[in-house]
Amino acid sequence: MNKYYSTKMSIFVFAAPALLLFTVFCVYPLFPEIWMSLHNHDGFRNLGFVGLDNYKDMLSSSSFWLAHKNTYLIVGISVLIGLPLSLMLALFMDVQNPRFRRIFKTSAMFPAILSVTVVSQIWVSFYDPNWGLFNTILKSIGLESWTHSWLTERKTVMPSIGLSFLWQYIGLNAMLFYAGIKTIPKNYYEAALIDGANFVQVCIRITIPLLQDITKYVLILSTLGSMAFYAQVRVMTAGGPGDTSRTVVYQMYYTAFGTSEFGKGTAIAVIFILECLLISFLIQRFVAREKLEF
Amino acid sequence: MKTISRVFWLLISCTFLFPLYWMITMSFKSKAEAYSNPYGIPHNWDWGNFGDALSQYHFFKYLQNSFIYTIGTIVVTLAAGSMLAYCLSRMQWRFSAMTLFYVSLGLIVPIEVVLIPLFQLVKLLHIKDSYLGLVLPYSGFAIASCVLMLYAFLRSLPKELEEAACMDGANVYQTFQKIILPIIMPALVTQCVLLFMRIWNEFPLAFVIASKDDFRPLTVGLLDFFVSVGVSDWGLIGASMLLSSLPTIIVYMLGNEKIENALTAGAILK
Amino acid sequence: MKKKAKVLSVTSMAVTMLLSLAACGSDNDNPSASNTASPTEQSSSNTGNGEKVKLRIVTLTTDENRNNIMEQYIKPNVAKALPNVEVEFEPGGGGEDMANKLKTYNSSGDMPDVFWDDAGFFIPLNNTGSIMDLTPYITKDGFLDKYDVPGALKHIDGKIYSLSSGSDTYFTPVIFYHKDMFEKAGVKVPTTFDELLEASKKLNANDMVPAVTPGKGGWGPQLFLLQQMVQIGDPQAMEDLVSNKTDFNNPSVKAGASRIEQLVKADFFPKGIANLDYGPAMEMFTSKKAAMLMMFTWELPNLAKDDTVDFFPFPSASDKYDSAKHVQYWGSPLNGYAVNAKTKHPEEAVKLAEFLAMMDAKYFESKGAPVSLNTGDAAPEPGPLMKKFIDWYNPIPTKIPSLALNSLDAKVSAELGSQGASLLTGEYSTDQFIEAMQKVWSQNTWFNQ
Repeated sequence: MNKYYSTKMSIFVFAAPALLLFTVFCVYPLFPEIWMSLHNHDGFRNLGFVGLDNYKDMLSSSSFWLAHKNTYLIVGISVLIGLPLSLMLALFMDVQNPRFRRIFKTSAMFPAILSVTVVSQIWVSFYDPNWGLFNTILKSIGLESWTHSWLTERKTVMPSIGLSFLWQYIGLNAMLFYAGIKTIPKNYYEAALIDGANFVQVCIRITIPLLQDITKYVLILSTLGSMAFYAQVRVMTAGGPGDTSRTVVYQMYYTAFGTSEFGKGTAIAVIFILECLLISFLIQRFVAREKLEF
Repeated sequence: MKTISRVFWLLISCTFLFPLYWMITMSFKSKAEAYSNPYGIPHNWDWGNFGDALSQYHFFKYLQNSFIYTIGTIVVTLAAGSMLAYCLSRMQWRFSAMTLFYVSLGLIVPIEVVLIPLFQLVKLLHIKDSYLGLVLPYSGFAIASCVLMLYAFLRSLPKELEEAACMDGANVYQTFQKIILPIIMPALVTQCVLLFMRIWNEFPLAFVIASKDDFRPLTVGLLDFFVSVGVSDWGLIGASMLLSSLPTIIVYMLGNEKIENALTAGAILK
Repeated sequence: MKKKAKVLSVTSMAVTMLLSLAACGSDNDNPSASNTASPTEQSSSNTGNGEKVKLRIVTLTTDENRNNIMEQYIKPNVAKALPNVEVEFEPGGGGEDMANKLKTYNSSGDMPDVFWDDAGFFIPLNNTGSIMDLTPYITKDGFLDKYDVPGALKHIDGKIYSLSSGSDTYFTPVIFYHKDMFEKAGVKVPTTFDELLEASKKLNANDMVPAVTPGKGGWGPQLFLLQQMVQIGDPQAMEDLVSNKTDFNNPSVKAGASRIEQLVKADFFPKGIANLDYGPAMEMFTSKKAAMLMMFTWELPNLAKDDTVDFFPFPSASDKYDSAKHVQYWGSPLNGYAVNAKTKHPEEAVKLAEFLAMMDAKYFESKGAPVSLNTGDAAPEPGPLMKKFIDWYNPIPTKIPSLALNSLDAKVSAELGSQGASLLTGEYSTDQFIEAMQKVWSQNTWFNQ
């Protein structure tokens, strides 16, 4: 069958439109980008070739590394806490009766369909130090000393933003997991249940291993999605106070558009894209390598 | 145990629905009440916010444009994306793995980074000030996640059906159209919903490319209005947020059912 | 809905420009917008003889004032004022959005004929030859003579690049306060910095937030707080800094920064001030949660509606400063409507810029704000608070230009905001602030133009 299907012609017809679109609009713009990163460019005009100076400057700036720390904190939160929670929610939804399941599904996805702005703004009001929800609750249960000015203290600002991000996307990832769970043939479960396995054992022995492909997809999506983390920061703190809550993309944006150093900003972009490439390569290489056959 | 976990997730679900509650109640509050009573039920239900919100910009024109961009992008992305995903998962060719990796690169390029080159490109192709000016770049950026997801689904599908079709003498195009597309429908619907929400809320690119009034989507059209009320009139902001989110909420509500049905249908097929 | 995000991140210089236009009240007696909706398309059908000239304009669309000017003044009058021109209005947003948009257009050769110019992005636009020197045109047609002080339009190179209503020069930061709250806490209007700290203590003891100002992105410190804190101790040092005769190592500048730290440590501002946006800050003051508001006088007509509101100049921290002799003024000759030097229709484009500046002036004047462009309308009588302001402000001999608008390139400006916000957290020392600022200041490109 493969011989019959995989003619050069059919491969071309199937692959060309998407690859063309992708290459022209998504990949091509990177080249002017790289060119810019080798120049002193202020966004309006080119002030001359500077070689790798922009890269050197960026790699030696403390804001750049702080931005990395913040970004990988968000990645860590969303992969190490977010994904297991999403999977648990999906597994949990799977065993509910349809009416309950519908309630969970509908509500879980809700934050994800709203724009980041709306969601972030709500969290800003939660975190307000003077009359926000969190401090009000803490005060009312006598934990006055636990209150914080969440979004302006160096220690609390990133975790606070991270929590809102986690909350917004748990449901979306759970839905993707759930879609994956649905593709697992029912007879697998029946066999396991006859063996007397309980819910948790079924999950560990059957569901999770069979979810490799979807896990990989969700993993890539949420790793890269959280690496590009930016809009929430912009709404909630504008990267502040100072540079304490800037992520890599925010730092790039700040450098290019805030301080008008496009050469340096694009240098960050290029470094960042290389990092993302490396990480997605690692995931591709080490997760779900075996092709599953049912 | 079961009850405890159910209660736990039920509570979590309530927090998930909170933004909706917040937007709805906010949109009925006067400017002063939005501050004095940020989370509660409005004391006075003030309908004026909606009228004010609607009267200050060409809501329906922008709404129509938003639909054109969103649906156009969905059609282009799904058509091109499903074909490539099929090609990558089923056909055997030398560069298949490399292509998959190449496409996954698209997940990691934030659109803000390439704003300037992208704008120049769109001008160069003479598609600025046309609907294609946004549909094509959006599709280019959306293809990566679409292909990766469909690829994951296709890989988990059994090959027997295609082999049967092949025996019947159907060619690859017919097989794709008649056998594969219906099977992957659940995944396509899911993508459809995801894309809708993503494109509907997109702003940075639309702001630069769709500058003519006739081509502005809702997000850009709302800009004037949003900024004009400053950052203080939360009642008005709530009303306009609600109005502009309504289509995504409706699509999601409808799409949500569809996904559920389509998924079960897919499961039965197997 | 990302634009909201952009609005909220009031970080860039440019946003401040927009706000500077928020001169007057927000009494929104906005007549039905539906009457005037898209009059450009409709009104441009049958006037004049021969071909109409098409002009494209990108302008500010950030606040209520801008929208009122557009809907009530510009759109209804443009066809009558310029019958042979067809104008395409494009909303520019403001702040970063506006800067990004113009950067993108400029780098791809797609600049509009007329646009809102801003000190924040003037230099690079001018260096690519995108801004026209308006002097010959407006001298010839007499528009220049309509300004009270024509010289004030000139950039430091002696050319005129932008036309504005001139309301900017009447903006200065002051401290607004609620008389009744002061009375309740037993606080007298402070005339020295120590009295200000004392007032802060008393207000705090009465469970009142002493003062607010927008702190997100370092808005307050960037635009006026640092400048005020320096000049109340040593006005000369501030003048020197604005004209690049000294730097951040100057002890007086350092003393100014440390005054900000002192205020923060004394709980002068509420918790979370470093992330407090413009709107919420205003709300905290108008709803009497905070007793004082440090703000520019463009909010004066708005705040004067509340009878309990009064204002006082920044109190002095040494005998070198006298609030009747020194004041910071806003404004820059670069903020206003500029014309693209490469436009195909320079005559018409300049006329359009003149028309737009005039509409701005008419609007602001009708709201009781002083303007320096002579509109020919009878100005309404100013309210008592505005009168008090004008009587204090006009005779002041030494008006120091704003550091934020007249001395900083994009990088220093952005860093001042960001460092200023850090200073407001109380977790950042004056020394750290001065060291970081001196580093970027030493690479400031503003004065090498």
